[in-house]
Amino acid sequence: MHGFKRSMLALPALALFAVSASAQNVEWKDDGTVLLKLGEAYNNAVIETTREELGSEFGPDKKPFEGVTITVTVNGAGPKGGISGPLYQFRPIWEELSGGKVNIVELPFEEHYTKMMLDLRNGTGQYDAFMVGAFWYGDVVPAGYAYAIDELQKSGKYPKWTYDDMPPALKTLHQWKGVGYGILNDGDGQVLYYRNDVLADATHQEAFKKEYGYDLPNPPQTWQQLLDISKYFNGKNWDSNDADPDSGTVLHLKVGQQGHYHFQSLSASFVINPGEKVTRTQNVYWFDPEDMKPLINSPGHVKALEFLQELHKTGPSAQVGWSLGEAWDYFLRGKAIFVFSWGDVGALCQDTSRSKIKGKCAAAMLPSSNEYYDFEKKEFMKVEQPRQVGNTTGGSWHGVISNFSANPEAVYSFLSLMAIRPVSKLMATVGWDGVDPGFSYQFLEEDGGTAKIDDYVKAGWDANDAKTYTHAYHELFYAPTMLTYLRIPGSFEYWDILDKNLSAAMSGEKNAKQALDDTATAWEGVTDRIGRDKQKADYQAAIGYQP
Amino acid sequence: MRWTGNIRFLLLLPAVIWVLAFTVFPLGYSLYLAFYKLEQKVEVKREKVPVLDNEGKPALDSQGQPRTKNIVNKQQVNVATFIGLDNFRRLLRDPQVHSAVRVTLTFVLIAVPTELALGFLLATLFNQHLFGRPVLRAIMILPIFATPLAVGYSFFTIFYEVGGPLAWTGIAFLSHPNWALFSVILVDVWQWTPFCFLVFLAALQGVPGELYEAARVDGANFLDMLKEVMLPLLTPTIVIVLLLRFAEALKLFDIPFALTGGGPGVATQPLSLLAFRTGLRFFDLGYASAMAYALLAAAMIVITLFFRRLRETYD
Repeated sequence: MHGFKRSMLALPALALFAVSASAQNVEWKDDGTVLLKLGEAYNNAVIETTREELGSEFGPDKKPFEGVTITVTVNGAGPKGGISGPLYQFRPIWEELSGGKVNIVELPFEEHYTKMMLDLRNGTGQYDAFMVGAFWYGDVVPAGYAYAIDELQKSGKYPKWTYDDMPPALKTLHQWKGVGYGILNDGDGQVLYYRNDVLADATHQEAFKKEYGYDLPNPPQTWQQLLDISKYFNGKNWDSNDADPDSGTVLHLKVGQQGHYHFQSLSASFVINPGEKVTRTQNVYWFDPEDMKPLINSPGHVKALEFLQELHKTGPSAQVGWSLGEAWDYFLRGKAIFVFSWGDVGALCQDTSRSKIKGKCAAAMLPSSNEYYDFEKKEFMKVEQPRQVGNTTGGSWHGVISNFSANPEAVYSFLSLMAIRPVSKLMATVGWDGVDPGFSYQFLEEDGGTAKIDDYVKAGWDANDAKTYTHAYHELFYAPTMLTYLRIPGSFEYWDILDKNLSAAMSGEKNAKQALDDTATAWEGVTDRIGRDKQKADYQAAIGYQP
Repeated sequence: MRWTGNIRFLLLLPAVIWVLAFTVFPLGYSLYLAFYKLEQKVEVKREKVPVLDNEGKPALDSQGQPRTKNIVNKQQVNVATFIGLDNFRRLLRDPQVHSAVRVTLTFVLIAVPTELALGFLLATLFNQHLFGRPVLRAIMILPIFATPLAVGYSFFTIFYEVGGPLAWTGIAFLSHPNWALFSVILVDVWQWTPFCFLVFLAALQGVPGELYEAARVDGANFLDMLKEVMLPLLTPTIVIVLLLRFAEALKLFDIPFALTGGGPGVATQPLSLLAFRTGLRFFDLGYASAMAYALLAAAMIVITLFFRRLRETYD
């Protein structure tokens, strides 16, 4: 009885607590500003936005999605992990704004695509949205599984963001034939991270010149220079962090763990023939757009893979079995001069709980090859000046709404909340959340953006690291020549085949030519199975080829 | 009598339904898939209906427009095209399948005999008077209870080549194709030798002590006893264990999935992992079914030949 009475008395107190707890994430100011209060994961940051920016559906007394529950899938990385973390951190804010509920379903990277496709192919409609990699579009959008968001975006009812903040190369990845499907979140592309302190060391510069006959370039402009530098530093203990020898370049090459992206980024400048527009021989990388014959075993690709095999020898041999995290940690521990990877590394360099190289972690546009294979002349061409080839390598992970969702407006408003400028800007400065920069307000003013170096310094960045980082990404996404992105049905399968053969090449099981010839043969099988004409049409549309 | 007869069938019905639904139907459906190319699509029709407030009037949104909710109507459209034996012909010329068969056979031919031999040796050792035998036996059988997927991830940390507990060996456990396959075999042997050991030990303990005594009186040493007493008496048990392990090893999946991801390259990708990826990652369901049936057929042929030979021996 006593216990019952006490619990009865506790109920109103609990209710009061619940009300105050649920009202603590959003503060509506009289001047029209709105404060979004984040938790510990974001160091209790407070984001200032406006009623206007949040859209007309949200307001102090409005709960537009009361009683609605939405379910979003994401690669499993936990409440403070890449891409999944922001969903957890912004969930209470959206729930307070909308009155709705969010279920976050974390799926291991290897299973996410499978679970999504099973749900879509069977029309189960268990999930309202998916945090997808752009390379899944070919399987999702043409089949009618994705919900077009242009109308929702134009309505003004929901948090406001625009595709115009994206470089054209990233914008394309969020659309299909000019229609918007993806909600801005992450900008993926690989840049070069390097130890500027070590490269600038006078003793090493002198010794390098003596050994290689030219000045040590800081940073390297060509892949060939990078290889020389990697060879020079590999096996030397150039870092005072420990007594063990250090490495040149570290890579993540475990099969099924995105190792093939290294090859894509590196080989682009060995392969892509520059030109004003996409032709049968210019600005193509994957297939001949006229007959869908694979280009992946072209002499340029083979030379690039042989180069990667050589470069791999300047890193730990175990990297053949390494995923992203292991390779990144090796670099963050100060064990390698170079890593070329996504934006996460730049931000993680600033996290002193994980990194020993804050302030020594510079970034640059990827180097270029001093020669490329000319598809027209069928021979290698030497280049005088390294030519910049940008990439959007990776997933640019972002939300796409399921066409089976009964609540697309609610899902859109949740995912758009994380796409508004002040939120997106903050997320790009934080290392753990996996959201990488790529949008105009994340670039510094000197690069034509609107961000200030103080924005990054306040978020805990070293100013020089931040400058080189944002500049590298700006150059990468606005490069005059871009690596084309594969977004056709079966992309995941094409890449899986490439990934396995690259892994076999890196482990010494196959030579470069054999690995890429095997890839090309298997790709032909996939193309024939899905339908050559259908694939050709989608490929031409994806790369902007006009027959 | 008639009532009893009817209820007998009624009581059997749940089991029959279970078997039909979860064994016969999937078998039949996957066989069907192996001969057809299936294109699945769902057509969606979306209808917006007004949301009503408590008084039954249309609720308005922030812009004064009627608030609506979505009714999603879905219609599954499946197109199945008969392709005959195409999927089976594809198996014969697919390098990935050839490689997976090679990996599976290498694994089965090394792991299973090793597990049987080690299990038998350990069982003969534990069949003697041994200090602390019950405790040691309990410890010995612990790996059987571990989930293979968890075992794979655990050994990933053990075989970790930089800073892992075995890093000092300098062996490329996970990054060299041959060593990676060896690692997979090693983990399987670690997990399943105890099973062989347990069954053999039970069989050995069932052998009457008088037979050993008689052999000893006749001057037999350990090898003689092994050859003349233990092996003949244990042959049926060995055959059963061999078949169980053979069938289980052919289905190898979890350990390479967690330990190596099938790599480097496809050096540790067995047929079941390839079938899984083909079917559930790339949704080439017909081809995956053909792979599964080919594996089933191969296993059945081996097992049938084995039994026939065994029957001939005993007859």
